[in-house]
Amino acid sequence: MTSTGGGDVHDWGPLVGDLAERRERALAMGGPDRVERQRSLGKLTVRERLDLLLDPGTWVEYGLLADHMDPGLGDRYLAADGAITGIGAIDGRPVAVAAYDFTVMAGSMGRVGEDKIARLRAHALSQRIPMVWLLDSAGARIQATSGSGFAGAGALFREQVAMSGVVPMVAAMLGHCAAGTAYIPALADFVPMVKGTSSMALGGRHLVKAAVGEDVTEEEMGGSAVHTTISGVADLEVADDRECLATVRRYLSFFPAHNRERPPVREAGAAGAPADPVDRRCEELYGIVPTAPRRAYDMRKVVTAVVDGGDVLWIKPGWAKNILTGLARVGGEPVGVVANQPMVLGGALDVNAADKAARFVWLCDAFNIPLVFLHDVPGFIVGSAVEKQGIIRHGAKMLFAVSEATVPKVSVVLRKSYGAGYFVMNGMAYEADYIVGWPTAEIAVMGPDGAVNIIHRKTLEAIPDEAERAQRRLELAEEIRAHIDPYVAAGHAQLDAVIDPADTRRAIAEGLRVARDKRVERPWRKHGVLPV
Amino acid sequence: MAEVRAEITANVWQVTAELGQLVGEGDEICILESMKMEIPVVTETPGVLAELHVAPGDVVQEGDLIAVIDES
Repeated sequence: MTSTGGGDVHDWGPLVGDLAERRERALAMGGPDRVERQRSLGKLTVRERLDLLLDPGTWVEYGLLADHMDPGLGDRYLAADGAITGIGAIDGRPVAVAAYDFTVMAGSMGRVGEDKIARLRAHALSQRIPMVWLLDSAGARIQATSGSGFAGAGALFREQVAMSGVVPMVAAMLGHCAAGTAYIPALADFVPMVKGTSSMALGGRHLVKAAVGEDVTEEEMGGSAVHTTISGVADLEVADDRECLATVRRYLSFFPAHNRERPPVREAGAAGAPADPVDRRCEELYGIVPTAPRRAYDMRKVVTAVVDGGDVLWIKPGWAKNILTGLARVGGEPVGVVANQPMVLGGALDVNAADKAARFVWLCDAFNIPLVFLHDVPGFIVGSAVEKQGIIRHGAKMLFAVSEATVPKVSVVLRKSYGAGYFVMNGMAYEADYIVGWPTAEIAVMGPDGAVNIIHRKTLEAIPDEAERAQRRLELAEEIRAHIDPYVAAGHAQLDAVIDPADTRRAIAEGLRVARDKRVERPWRKHGVLPV
Repeated sequence: MAEVRAEITANVWQVTAELGQLVGEGDEICILESMKMEIPVVTETPGVLAELHVAPGDVVQEGDLIAVIDES
């Protein structure tokens, strides 16, 4: 200590000590009891979650010393105001994170905490880096916002909308979230949900009981089973917090930091990625796909056979299972795979399948991730049930998304691809950059078994004997089938190639390679008018 | 008791399991025919096939009961 004669003017000890105490108090979150309660629910604390999500030593926190600053809440201390914000790295790339702390007043959204998150959103947007929310929050802090102060609220959603398609947005569901914290995931790109401990609903259970008289648990109303298999609001059910955070890291590994960057390429032989040559023959496909056109098989096996290392991150695997959407790599480059699933509804498209595929195509197109379509589709389901569900509107949505997408688009027609099903799966007319068929490919306005009843209806009705009529129907269908032949399509140059199924991986890689620098110019418009 | 229901309006093409039979998760109960495709109907619950509500040639609507599995 240096004395200047007028007493100790370099007395830093107490000041630094006070700062350390304040920091320590903030890092203790809601206190030992609430932290213990958090653990007893099977949840990690917000600090443990950040450690698992981010690369070690990369975290820069904003607003650790924040508090509620609300005279109405008196002297009560709310660590960081229940919302931890900062920037850290995932695989060496910066990511903005906003994490609600349930141990602090149930993670409720307070004014200061929301100001912190608004600052993070602004940073994510101006720095063009992904934004991740770790959601474990009861929603708005009603104690603070029950009055007319609410009238100016809501900017968070508008700002999130402005970020959509500019930077990737992930909302990880790690607790029961209601109202405000249920709209954040709704506007994010990717929503994993922890089984058992997370939920999302517009109204929490107490509000629901009061408002509509329904007595339900959070799990029944908006648990992972509801949102990953029935509503389609969430993308993936995960077992626990650890798997959830690992999944967020994995998801972002497919994405560029923003929409003007290419997605990151994983070099062959990189850590955890054994070299997988793009010309690898996939002879196992002979055993997976039956040549009999009506017979079902599991398309997931086809996808895992052709992508790098069999590694796919399925998006919405438990909902609209008649179509598969997933992120994978071919030759180290990220691709979005859209594939019909003949195991479910025969692979026919319904309202939810169209909805799921359209959103996935928009997601990939926004972030320059090329699309690979694997066709085996008898068309859109027809009948009064689906018309009442608005199949035309939903089908148009998929048509819209695929038409709009300007990323490289490669199609492989495995077996049938009929009618509008062929169009929405990126048929040649949809700016497919490379479209190939297997020898079993059947591209037509409809299948021969359907067409025969329309083309030859009068001929068939004129045959009185039922057995004879059935026999004639089969013969005529075979006549039609002869015209539905990949070599006819290839003869018209409407298929770029007919390939040996075992060469599917190579064909996809070649299609992606030739289209890599594709540019599509469209007339200016504010935006299209989306059929949703 | 777990119910197996039709996911699509379809004709029942074949019934492949028998009443009283022990079925495992993913086992086929019957095959529907719709959209010119064979659509296998499988049980997600293992148990004994306690009720069977369809026969070949029947028409089922989406949501119709096909079978009941007794998992006890």
